[in-house]
Amino acid sequence: MTTKPSSTHKLLTAALVLPLSGCDGLQSVLQPAGKEAAEIATLFHVLLVGAVVLWILVNGIFFYVTRLNPRPLSRRAAETLIIGGGILFPTIVLGILLAWSMSLMSSQRELGNAPVSVSVTGEQWWWRVQYRREDGSLLASANELRLPAGERTEVTLTSNKVIHSFWVPALAGKMDMFPGRVTRLALQPETTGTYRGQCAEFCGTSHALMAFQVVVMEPNDFERWLDDQAAPAKEPEEALALEGRQVFLREGCGACNTVRGTPAAGTTGPDLTHVGGRTTLGAGILPTTPDAFTRWIQHTESIKPDVYMPSYEHLEQSVLEALGHYLKGLS
Amino acid sequence: MKKPSTHDQEEREFGEEVDSLWRIVFSPLVWVFHFLACYIVTAIICAKMPAGDTLAGLRWFILGITLTSLVGIAAIGWRSWKQWGFVDDGVKVQDLPTEEHRHEFLAHASFLLSIVSFIGVCYVAVPAIFLDSCR
Ligand SMILES: [Cu+2]
Repeated sequence: MTTKPSSTHKLLTAALVLPLSGCDGLQSVLQPAGKEAAEIATLFHVLLVGAVVLWILVNGIFFYVTRLNPRPLSRRAAETLIIGGGILFPTIVLGILLAWSMSLMSSQRELGNAPVSVSVTGEQWWWRVQYRREDGSLLASANELRLPAGERTEVTLTSNKVIHSFWVPALAGKMDMFPGRVTRLALQPETTGTYRGQCAEFCGTSHALMAFQVVVMEPNDFERWLDDQAAPAKEPEEALALEGRQVFLREGCGACNTVRGTPAAGTTGPDLTHVGGRTTLGAGILPTTPDAFTRWIQHTESIKPDVYMPSYEHLEQSVLEALGHYLKGLS
Repeated sequence: MKKPSTHDQEEREFGEEVDSLWRIVFSPLVWVFHFLACYIVTAIICAKMPAGDTLAGLRWFILGITLTSLVGIAAIGWRSWKQWGFVDDGVKVQDLPTEEHRHEFLAHASFLLSIVSFIGVCYVAVPAIFLDSCR
């Protein structure tokens, strides 16, 4: 026999799930995994402790003079309190905090020096990613950022059509992306792992569905990964995947998406050459399983409202499955 | 001989204050101009010559304009302090409808605004100390 959870129970669970989901470190400023984020977290903690101490002090004094020991203050004492506590103390404390936070500015803005640099373009609603390697070669990707641990990678940002904001809370502060303008930031992740980034500037209907994952790898693994990414798409081996490729080309997917090594060379949508190897699909919202690919292609517009890609609801289930299979195979 | 009325006497003594309502905005105005000058000049320099050692010049400019502003605010503050005449009569609250109270109230307000503006100008200038690039 199972007991039905009471509504209070459900409410409590819901109330806990939200704050706790922020604690797993995937997307938390409080669990920094990069140099900038660590500096910001320290600043935050000092300010937080300071604010708490001040709050207790001010309210403690209030409590003391109104409840514990209410008596008129001498004019002199009152004026000392106002001038000392109201002008001198805050001016000095704020001055020190201002100077300290300003002194962090130059290290927050330091240029990247890793051999690879990345440019990210905000699209509606996904991230166009391009790696530039030391030899000048360019590599197209999307909706996922891979970075070498311990190195400082320069990231140039721009946007197509509307303003977005690039934010990976665990690694650094945020930076806006403007159409027709280039902004920059550098990411210096210290520990390997997967982190989450999210568009932080309202950019239209599916703004909340515009996320990505950052995979921080050992520098050697990262170089190897780049080599793999530079290769054209894998030839499908299974019959189902082969059929999927035929469908992909027949249905005109290549007009918008590129799969290097095939006639598909569109650039309106994300580069799919190695889409199966990514951690997420649809800009951070679905896993990359064959099923998810199938669902995504079938119901694109309901999964991501107002997206440019049309839903392919008219395709038969078996055809969609073949497509999903093919795309998952593009690792 | 006709004796001058108290009102006339007050008016003569504090007559210069007919237009002194303006004086209370002088210090905040200096603050405003200092703020705008710092930010606009920095924006122009960073837009036109982001590279090279233009920042040293910018720093000197901000230092100069900051010192000038502080001296200006201090002068306005000093003048208000004298006009307030706190040391002479120890009056802190000016709430009577007399020329004298009006005269001292305006000075009092102007003095306090000078303090705020002084602090404000200092804060606006602090980033210039830490600025090391236009990034
Ligand atoms: Cu966005």
